[in-house]
Amino acid sequence: MKRLLFSVAFLACVAATTPAFAQQSGNLRVDFQGPGGHSSGAYGRVSALHAAARAVILIQQSLPAGSYQITNLTGGNSVNSIASDGLIELKLTAANAAAYQKLVAAVTNLAAEGAAAENKFRGVKPGDLTSGAPATVRSAVTPF
Amino acid sequence: MVAASEKIANDPQILALLKDQSTDAAAKARWNQFLELVRIPSPSRQENLKAAEIHRRLVGEWGFTQAEVMTRADGTIPASDTNIVDGLPVYNACVVIKGSYSGRADAQQYKGQFPKVLVEGHIDVVNPEELPKTGDPSIRIKLQPYAQPVVATPEELAAIPEELSFDARGRVVENDRYATASKIFANAKEAEAGGGVRIYVPGYGDMMPSTSNAFVLAAAMKKHKIQPVYDIWICGTAGEEGKGNLAGMKQLYGFDQKAGTGSNPLNFVANFGLEGGGTVNFLGSYRFEMKFKAPVPRGSGSGPSAPEAMAAAIAKIADVKTPSELRDGAPRTTYTVGRASCEPPPAGRTIVPSCSLEVDMRSPRTETLDEIRKNIEPLFQAGASAENARYGRKDGGPEGITLELMWYGLRPAFVAESVDNIAVHAGLQSGIQLGVLTSPTVGTGSGSLNDNVPANTGIPTYQFTLASSAAGAGGHAFWEWGTRGTPAAEVERMHRVLTAALIVSGFHAADGTVVPPAIGPMGKRTREVAR
Repeated sequence: MKRLLFSVAFLACVAATTPAFAQQSGNLRVDFQGPGGHSSGAYGRVSALHAAARAVILIQQSLPAGSYQITNLTGGNSVNSIASDGLIELKLTAANAAAYQKLVAAVTNLAAEGAAAENKFRGVKPGDLTSGAPATVRSAVTPF
Repeated sequence: MVAASEKIANDPQILALLKDQSTDAAAKARWNQFLELVRIPSPSRQENLKAAEIHRRLVGEWGFTQAEVMTRADGTIPASDTNIVDGLPVYNACVVIKGSYSGRADAQQYKGQFPKVLVEGHIDVVNPEELPKTGDPSIRIKLQPYAQPVVATPEELAAIPEELSFDARGRVVENDRYATASKIFANAKEAEAGGGVRIYVPGYGDMMPSTSNAFVLAAAMKKHKIQPVYDIWICGTAGEEGKGNLAGMKQLYGFDQKAGTGSNPLNFVANFGLEGGGTVNFLGSYRFEMKFKAPVPRGSGSGPSAPEAMAAAIAKIADVKTPSELRDGAPRTTYTVGRASCEPPPAGRTIVPSCSLEVDMRSPRTETLDEIRKNIEPLFQAGASAENARYGRKDGGPEGITLELMWYGLRPAFVAESVDNIAVHAGLQSGIQLGVLTSPTVGTGSGSLNDNVPANTGIPTYQFTLASSAAGAGGHAFWEWGTRGTPAAEVERMHRVLTAALIVSGFHAADGTVVPPAIGPMGKRTREVAR
């Protein structure tokens, strides 16, 4: 319900700030970084790829239809390793610059939410270490 | 076996070999060889560069003739009936320590193959994912003081300025950085206090130090004219990691995944792996690569998305709890979606044609392995169905996301019903003889190792390691690192492997007597050779 309210509020916000004459679109990459490790020996660590997938679903549930298009989802280095990296590439389209920035901010928040969900599922929190390396999965959003 | 163990372990030829390996010069040669081999990238099923360098050194530097190299550059072992696995050649690198058995008038053979003992360690590594298409493929070996935190990102790793140097021939340059990296420590605490460094390179922990030392041992056996009765093959094996699907062992044991049978075309009688310590039970695994294919776009282009369908599947899988997470006492069961990728949209378009994921599931028992598979396998379709439903499209129809099985991997689980076999006996007795074991007992744990194949072909198998690291972590991750351990431990481990292998193969002792093979000349198999 909380997510639905966010989505409705978001749609209202985008609609309220959208002049019809200044459509803006752009591409974002959302990187996820985690510790990775052996699929069996390090089982229980967070997966950056699992976090990325969680984030895609959050984006799907939260952003207005037609405002985004996922153009890539990738990550991991082998079938028998926990993915240390995940990447979402997406194209955003908004009616104007202000609405576009809101979309970017939403994706940034939802990426962090996806990472947080993965961290929560595996019971790790910021500052935790695994064999000396950061134990959490983190997200970063950059335009390209 | 006790007498054989004692005789072999104390044989003057063996002791001379060990004395030779105990010098500072030999320790340095081993260390340099490891550094020079580990930097050669060797992704699963693309091990050709590393296999080629091992082949080159076997003849050019390690004292073997071409006839003693049992593997070919094209990935073929002529006597195997399984030279193509999953449609690809198999880049094993094997050398033989020739035994005397084939010269006997009463020698028995299986379809032209005299008995052999296999000692092997894998040469493939999970990073990098693929061989680089252009440029120098060599991996940069980075050095970092313990006082600094373990790197958190690949970018931090790449930014470390300190790295080892190699000359045009691939030889390590013995400069100040080499001296720092070459410091020897007993453990992490001593390394931290004594100016040790983390040496970052994929394969440090899994498992090039042990495999590299297997070839040191082979060369030393050749140099010291160690003669077994049965042949001993020493191999660097391909395809243990990633989608390798145990290809190297399938070639050696003629193992047919679909049938679950091994023809043992080379007639191995016992197997010794070098990746661990004394495992006798082997994890089973199922692996799937699933492709999510988008429908041909229509009208405005709005329709089910391959990446979103795959994301839905991964997100659902990510929430699965395994039997061991749900029930106390259930065998430890694991899974992960290890890799995913998407086909780029055609030029000028944004619709992704397809995406693929790879998932790994493991458990020591078939029941729990099947349980996790039963939970995860339907989620592939659930992801596709969820995406189709968003657009009102029917599953399986031309306008919806469709699924395709791209690849299926299987490591059959193996639970030892009995450990009364020659490999375990020799493995334990060699440890007792050399004082590293006090009792003939095996652990109850399970490993997912190359040994899955011989175990499921009926060949007795046991593991050792030839590596010595003071510390290490990050296996299978971009931050895999290690610190050099004591060379003496490597020599002790060589002693044990030599003793165990020669107990099984038989051995011509320095006093002219012969320790007979501890097992008959016909290896087991679960299928007849098809050649």
